[in-house]
Amino acid sequence: MGRAFAEKVLARAAGLSEARPGEIVDVYPDLYMSHMASWRCIRTLEKLGTDKLYDPDRIAMVMDHISPARIPKTADDQRMCREFAVRKGIKKFYDVEAGIAHVVLMEEGYIRPGMVVIGTDSHSTIYGALGAFGTGVGFSEITAAWVTGKLWMKVPDSIKVTIEGPLARGTSSKDVMLKLIGTLTADGATYLSVEFHGSYTQGLSISDRMTLCNLAMEVGAKNAVVCADETTRSYLAERGVPSGHYAEVHPDADAVYVKSATVDGRSLAPQIACPHAVDNVKPIDQVAGTKVDQVFIGSCANAKYEDLVEAARILKGHKVAPGVRLLVSPASKEIVARTVKDGTYSILLEAGALITNPGCSACAGDGGVMADGEVTLSTANRNFQGRMGSYNAEIYLGSPAVAAATAIRGAITDPREFLS
Amino acid sequence: MIEKILARASGRKTVTPGEVVVANVDCLLLHDLSGYLTGRVFEREVRRPMRYPERVVMIFDHHFCPPTEEGARILQENRSFARRWGINLFDCGNGNTHHVGVQNGFIRPGTVVVGSDSHTPVHGTLGCFATGIGNDSHAGTVMPFGKAWFKVPDAIQVRLSGTHKRGATPRDAALWLTGTIGEGGAIYKALEFAGPYVEQLDFWDRWLFPLIVVDLGAKCGYIEPDEKTLSFVRSVTDKPFDVLKGDPQRAFEAVWEWDLSDLEPQVACPPTVGNVKPVTAVLGAPVQWSELGGHGGGRIEDFRLAAQILTGRRVHPDLRFNLVPSSRAVFRQAVREGLVEKLHEAGATWFPPSTGSNQAYNMGAMTAEEAMISTHARNFPGRNGSPEAKMYLASALTVAASAVAGAIADPRQYL
Repeated sequence: MGRAFAEKVLARAAGLSEARPGEIVDVYPDLYMSHMASWRCIRTLEKLGTDKLYDPDRIAMVMDHISPARIPKTADDQRMCREFAVRKGIKKFYDVEAGIAHVVLMEEGYIRPGMVVIGTDSHSTIYGALGAFGTGVGFSEITAAWVTGKLWMKVPDSIKVTIEGPLARGTSSKDVMLKLIGTLTADGATYLSVEFHGSYTQGLSISDRMTLCNLAMEVGAKNAVVCADETTRSYLAERGVPSGHYAEVHPDADAVYVKSATVDGRSLAPQIACPHAVDNVKPIDQVAGTKVDQVFIGSCANAKYEDLVEAARILKGHKVAPGVRLLVSPASKEIVARTVKDGTYSILLEAGALITNPGCSACAGDGGVMADGEVTLSTANRNFQGRMGSYNAEIYLGSPAVAAATAIRGAITDPREFLS
Repeated sequence: MIEKILARASGRKTVTPGEVVVANVDCLLLHDLSGYLTGRVFEREVRRPMRYPERVVMIFDHHFCPPTEEGARILQENRSFARRWGINLFDCGNGNTHHVGVQNGFIRPGTVVVGSDSHTPVHGTLGCFATGIGNDSHAGTVMPFGKAWFKVPDAIQVRLSGTHKRGATPRDAALWLTGTIGEGGAIYKALEFAGPYVEQLDFWDRWLFPLIVVDLGAKCGYIEPDEKTLSFVRSVTDKPFDVLKGDPQRAFEAVWEWDLSDLEPQVACPPTVGNVKPVTAVLGAPVQWSELGGHGGGRIEDFRLAAQILTGRRVHPDLRFNLVPSSRAVFRQAVREGLVEKLHEAGATWFPPSTGSNQAYNMGAMTAEEAMISTHARNFPGRNGSPEAKMYLASALTVAASAVAGAIADPRQYL
């Protein structure tokens, strides 16, 4: 009987010949990501009474979530991390100017097919975009992994999600995922390994794969993956990682899936997740015209280079509607560089966007906070009540194209109105 | 010049120093924090209609992207106040109060400009009487009556001459003057900046001189408008204005003259703006942060100077270099000139046009052990996180050189 991706990758990381769903295995992750709150791990480590690290090269720290500090406590926490990294010889340390941890680590070539990556962020499922097993864990787990190198995990069952393309005009990977989340619901894949298959995923850009795997968290996934292919290999090769430096893991053709789902991208319309749950998804025509105060293009889900280019394509020659704030937070320093170079940055600026330094920005409450009664259309991955400031504010989630069209009109707008 | 402006604004033929006049106010500049306080007093206590809403300008600059619900609520109330009264509003990301006011043509020669930011005297660069007054005065007299009272100040002329040597800039001259005249060295005076040095400066370099007067205790600072001033004003507004100049034989309480030819790069050291030393006295002082921004920086000129230093060099890995344009216009210009790309590639980080780390509303908090060198206008303890944190103020050249060195550095070694 064939094995699914998660079973094979966890067996390898646990040094076992096989690992069955439901089995508990001791996994030796290849990389442990912790963001700005790494200070919690450092404090926990102090309490453990040891500071001998299993392998400092497997530790990656990125000072995202709040960057830079606006209160002394945050500045102190970040300084603690900085000094710890120097003291412990942690080379994969990225300071407040780098951007969002997930995106930075992928750009740096640290995430490779077949790896197991744990991170102190629920959207660590994103690492599946490069054929890795990525999952979110707590600070204590990360600290324990720092010291022991291992973490126990229950091997998940798998779900096969088939996406057929090409996508209908005006839609993107974000719409695919919102459609899927609306269909499966927020707990539709709890503790399942989500495997993306189908014609749409073949040759799909890493950026779109990141959106798929990132948002898989919102159906409850343990991890999510688009298995490595030529696109993955060339993405890594461009970042100095030749294919000999990793071992791809692919599910067997006869792997067993406990569930399956299909999204037909060919007939898809832009989708919106309405307040206050990510699975409260409606096709855009049902919410078009809803007035917004703010549009946020940001987060690890949708502030990648391709996302900003897509938004700029619609915003070019237009202005943000009077009274509406358009907040753009590129996901990384590299993305800022690319968008400045190719003119995307300039188009956004001329349209009236407020472009922040790279980072989590409004998605992590670091700016873009709303007051009572305000409404934001966001490209991020969560719209829970109170997530962006007031409990009496509303967040709608949509694609970068929807965000751009909405910024121009000041109300939720179908981007197809701007595509010729 | 100030006497003439105040005479005209108060409907008199002449006024003399020491006299108290009630003057018509042509422009009221508010930022997000002061605007909120002013608006509340105006609506809750004053409860009268607003006389000239078109003269009132509110700019959100301390919060450029509110990180707290309280910040969001303040901005929301400010927005609805602005809508209710029809005043001019510039939301987050447009720049810092003074630059936005000037770039959008609200400040014109010969006028009376007030604002609750203490650096409001900077608009004397355009030949205005400009000064900072309290929020309650804005709410109580400026908003309902379009007026404010002033005691006419005595004037002192600061005559500057000389040409800088390599590595010294007008910002160094302004810092040096702050140290030399001293905090409290010109209390309630009108400081006229004049002389061949001032005449040869371009508009945005002249700007750095009236900017310092509040820290000397002065009521206002100004530069008599000349052809450079007028062509600048015409580039930002097509509204008419009427220039007033002092009489050629005008009397000053004092004339202070300095030759700036031998000026070295200067640094205002903690804990106050008047603690100014040549850069050589603080070489090697550790800094973890550097920033071009605030009222004293973030001009296109600052980014050009930084680019001179950073050509072929990178920001030191142990230090972070923040770039905060003073206005959207400057940001766009920096993109066009390739400065955004060049400085980003060198390792600096761009932030939205605003006051940046000023008072750490949105960014710029430091630990007790940290220090920053910046082009900001103030360095008092507690403005940037821990009261123990240090802030050094310097020119864009010195800030950029320090960003490369990872410690306070002399820009002359990098030019």
